[in-house]
Amino acid sequence: MITKKLIDQIEGEASVYFDLKDEKVDYASIAFPHFIGIENILEGKSVLDALVITPRVCGICGHAHLMACVRAIESAYKNANLPVTLSKKAEDIREFTLILEIIQNHFKWLYMTIIPQISKLSGSYQDQHPLKGAFAASLATKALAIFSGQWPHASYMIPGGITCDPTHVERLQALSHVEELITFFEKECAGIDIDSLLSFRSCKEIDALQSDIGDLEKNLALSKMHLKGFSHDNFLVLGKHDFSTQAKLKQMRVSNVDTRYIELDDAYSPDEKSYAKNATYNGMFYEVGPLSRLISSNYPLIKNMHRRFKDSTYTRVMARVFEIAVLLKQARTLVENLTLDEASFFAPSKIENLSSTGIGVVEAPRGSLIHKVIIQEGVIKKYEIITPTQWNLGSSPKNRLSPSQQAMQGQSVDDALFIFRSFDVCSVCTTH
Amino acid sequence: MIMNNPSQKISIMRSKLELKPRLLWLQGLTCNANAHSFFNLPNLEQLLNKFEILYHPSLGTEYSFEKISECDMVCDVLIFEGTFDPLLKRNNILMLNILTHYAHNAKHIIGLGSCASFGGMFKASSPQRNTGLIFNESLKEGPLLHLEEKVINLSGCPIHPQWLGFTLNMIVQNRPIAVDELHRPLELYSHLAHHGCTRNEYFEWKVDSKGFGLKEGCLFYGQGCRAPMTHSSCNKILWNEVSSKTRNGTPCFGCTEPDFPRTDLFSTKTNMSIPADVPLGVSKRSYLTMVGMAKTFSIKRLEGKLIDYKKTD
Repeated sequence: MITKKLIDQIEGEASVYFDLKDEKVDYASIAFPHFIGIENILEGKSVLDALVITPRVCGICGHAHLMACVRAIESAYKNANLPVTLSKKAEDIREFTLILEIIQNHFKWLYMTIIPQISKLSGSYQDQHPLKGAFAASLATKALAIFSGQWPHASYMIPGGITCDPTHVERLQALSHVEELITFFEKECAGIDIDSLLSFRSCKEIDALQSDIGDLEKNLALSKMHLKGFSHDNFLVLGKHDFSTQAKLKQMRVSNVDTRYIELDDAYSPDEKSYAKNATYNGMFYEVGPLSRLISSNYPLIKNMHRRFKDSTYTRVMARVFEIAVLLKQARTLVENLTLDEASFFAPSKIENLSSTGIGVVEAPRGSLIHKVIIQEGVIKKYEIITPTQWNLGSSPKNRLSPSQQAMQGQSVDDALFIFRSFDVCSVCTTH
Repeated sequence: MIMNNPSQKISIMRSKLELKPRLLWLQGLTCNANAHSFFNLPNLEQLLNKFEILYHPSLGTEYSFEKISECDMVCDVLIFEGTFDPLLKRNNILMLNILTHYAHNAKHIIGLGSCASFGGMFKASSPQRNTGLIFNESLKEGPLLHLEEKVINLSGCPIHPQWLGFTLNMIVQNRPIAVDELHRPLELYSHLAHHGCTRNEYFEWKVDSKGFGLKEGCLFYGQGCRAPMTHSSCNKILWNEVSSKTRNGTPCFGCTEPDFPRTDLFSTKTNMSIPADVPLGVSKRSYLTMVGMAKTFSIKRLEGKLIDYKKTD
């Protein structure tokens, strides 16, 4: 018998269909029923318009789309042997704003999705403060908007740099918002200062915290999430950033990545029309996102969690929470050291003369995001977007399960629904 | 026993909540950016506490969407985010039916964002059938046209959080909201995005920006800025309380207007090197006379850099 569950309190809407055997999931398929068609909208437009249109794929990670788009256009210039110069200032500001978007995403997911759900699942009735997530996110986006002009839906990254030309007044304002956010995180979320948290090496140290994160950890353990939600133990990080390391890890064997091996095929959803696609690398499913990033960057606490509990839901959830601390520290360092004496923008050659192909890869909140573009005389011939959720939340037949399908296998429906949400579902990105 | 009867369940709960207005947040085809923008509102909690929230897509609320889609209750304030697609189903029920049920009973209907107001960005997904609630771009057409007197459009891609904050607070206080011909509150949309831009002096003296990435110069002449033709208060009520696109060197794309998204957004369309569109309400002739005069002056202060970090850092 097939049981359908409508999933909300995620980004958008998804359905999961469970085929149960002895009340455990024997097979789960995932459907994303709504379709936008951004790629079709882009065809025939001036390629610079993609900097305005692609952020509108997603209200929570539009900035990552902007950065993937600008990188794709810059890569097209380079592939046509036309130089693109970026100042360190422009690169650092781009990185800073991208990081803050990831931070706002994680805070919202923590307080609006994960804590309410684990509270229900564990029966612990952990205090719920969904608006703490909104407050923290608003501080992050304030710091971000100082450089991008607004959040959501900014278009301040352009081929050759950024549109803003900040002074130290803006830099220090951004720093003060980041510092305020760090204080909020330490007092209201972690219950410990950020440097101590980052020096943790074992789960016991998290367990001892009297705080939202400490309670979350205890409730994950109470719900036996360290023994549930195992996926393929394959991780992929494609985006090039200072806060992560590009790598492919197959059962912890590390190798280099090459985007030529990425493929897309239609998702398999026998019970409902789904507009989703599955992304694979060399024909295999990999998990993308914070857990992959922290494992490839060798953070001792996350490596230790992984050694003990593999890629369980416990490890996946705690990695995403831990990444907030990693990124907050990185954001502070970036804005403290930002120099302003370089140009924000170096004009590349005229876009109307550009005929080329390009690829832009970034780490978005949920993992690796890819934009590919074919340009003819400055006009988009073809645009393709591969989102992190297409990696994690693919839907395939039983003999070849996606990371989230694999993780739900053998679990009760309630556990499976929590496990599904632990991947930070974004339907609007999946069926852009 | 009593809990099995949904209407009795509602009446019990309503007495406890002292009859706050019941708010329902529905979505058409959307990227969720209006919901996320609204989360940036300062004092969000105080505002939300003034309502009984039946359903919101990201907040844990009284009812699940499955329950809402049964259409056996009513709301006072209906927020609709996203483009209206007549074929869109949620929980396998036509959104048209859910929308019509709640809209019919609501006292106020808010079309949230340019998609819900005019079709917006996601109209292009199926341009033949997608519309806003009462407008298809600037034509009067949409599923709630028969209820248009209740509809307030908050256009913008996305909306500014304080625009929705203002509208909800006015509703709570039972104050009338004066609107323009596109049903947008006058207090938010009678200004132009240009008002309050830090580049205004460059606009006055017709000093073009020499390119992107500069504090100096106006983006109207070369970079495609639509701020002098766009109704919005982006430079009056700053974004995220700190800035705006134009202050940060990004042209205004005119996202609050029915024709958004236009094309070639980073360049100014010109005829014989004169901008094809001139500031709202100004005749082309007056504008050209003004430009001709301003261009005869050479103002050194506006031509150089405001700060040279190579000398000061």
